[in-house]
Amino acid sequence: MKPHRIRAVILRHAYEVSHNGNHLSNMIYWPVVNIVVWGFFTIYLRRGDHLQPGLVNCLLGAVILWGLFNAFQRDMAVGFLDELWSRNLVNLFGSPLSVSEYVTGLIAVNLVKATIGMAAEAVVAWFFYHYNIFPMLPAFVPFILNLALFALAVGIAVTGLIFRYTTKFQTMAWSVAGLLMPLSCVFYPLKSLPGFLQPAAWALPTTHSFEGMREAIERGAFSLSHFEWGLELNVVYFILAALFFRWMFESARARGLLVKLD
Amino acid sequence: MLLAVEHLTKVFGKFKAVDDVSFAVGEGEIVALVGPNGAGKTTTIHMLLGLITPTWGSIRLFGKRFEDHREEILQKLNFTSPYMAMPGRLTVGENLKVFARIYNVREAAAKIDALLERFGILHLKNKPVARLSSGESTRVCLCKAFLNDPDLLLFDEPTAYLDPQAALQVREILLDLQARCATTILITSHNMRDVQQMCGRIIFLDRGRVMAIGTPLEVTRKVLNEDRVAPALDEVFIRIAQSRFDETTSN
Repeated sequence: MKPHRIRAVILRHAYEVSHNGNHLSNMIYWPVVNIVVWGFFTIYLRRGDHLQPGLVNCLLGAVILWGLFNAFQRDMAVGFLDELWSRNLVNLFGSPLSVSEYVTGLIAVNLVKATIGMAAEAVVAWFFYHYNIFPMLPAFVPFILNLALFALAVGIAVTGLIFRYTTKFQTMAWSVAGLLMPLSCVFYPLKSLPGFLQPAAWALPTTHSFEGMREAIERGAFSLSHFEWGLELNVVYFILAALFFRWMFESARARGLLVKLD
Repeated sequence: MLLAVEHLTKVFGKFKAVDDVSFAVGEGEIVALVGPNGAGKTTTIHMLLGLITPTWGSIRLFGKRFEDHREEILQKLNFTSPYMAMPGRLTVGENLKVFARIYNVREAAAKIDALLERFGILHLKNKPVARLSSGESTRVCLCKAFLNDPDLLLFDEPTAYLDPQAALQVREILLDLQARCATTILITSHNMRDVQQMCGRIIFLDRGRVMAIGTPLEVTRKVLNEDRVAPALDEVFIRIAQSRFDETTSN
């Protein structure tokens, strides 16, 4: 991997973000709208009599972390779709740029974008709803790392599908997070799910991140087991996603789809 | 040989797009891959760039097998293709800056300005690519192709979207740059005048197979089966296209 080629990918997407309002809207506008709506909901909850301790903090923390996961996995696929929509794939993959350099550059750009979005949400939550995530961040960092890794694995797998099946699968970029959300136990504990769904939920690194986040907020304790489970699952999913992507990419090359993707 | 292709074959399902094609291109040569639509020219170029995996056969560039030295080989060549465009929201200058980084071009800003000036589009440097005409976009792609001072250039229909005057101008620039840098060029074109003026040798393809290889005159004599004194590639092209049409209608 050559750093100058990774920097080229970063520069390409930085230019795209600076010129394309859709990226700015995805990066800041929607996360802020999201936290504003949920913030009002927590104000309503606070007026109730039977509010569980820590519930409001858990909800707002979950909104912020889920926003990070959603943005990261979506932007991995959308970053690639930008190349496809602009018919730039031939230019890129007919150059010395390798797929791994391209993906690394895209990860770097999307980490910055997702972090900006998360920071915007956190600041709004702090100023308007008196929820300060920043003191909790050290406890959240391991779970954020797991969320980012899983988002990356999902983003890579979806990008592989788009390579092979072209834009027929492009809506996956926006919908996969929605599919995973009910099982990821973002806003409720794992035990709230029906018994037959719990093993499937347990197999998702996102579930462990949100369970760990709730433990950190409610008991002020770091759940090493949730972190380890999430990390181990991530290793498995990441390897599977990378293999799947390679398979889809080679299949697209063999079928001549790289030059005909539109 | 700078480029050596042996028994190159590409099969898509039951369709053989390229069928046992072998040819070589020496240093400093300008060679044309010509043939009617569907002859396999673009598929061959895309296999040379690694964008399509060959079903059989081997490609050696700069004496090295493509599969084993992809990055090293692609660093030394460049290309234009009608299948490509550049991100439309980025300006001409920004796009070229990105590609200059990919190819690790030294003193990129000066190089970009010099190329834009050479192709007569320096005034478009700060214009988004989406707002360019197809002829202007073609010139930007040509600038990209010369960014890394390539040893080998692959041009797929480089003058396809240019009006005759612009095509003439681009042809002159290409020949001038080629003469100064001794760049090897493999070009595909339907414009037989381009080919006749620019290329020392021709590889004539039809339905994925090589029909003839040689100088324009040799190819003319071979395909027309007449003892001509001057090349007549237009006639060759029409003869092949006509025979294909006759064959299709009789079937």
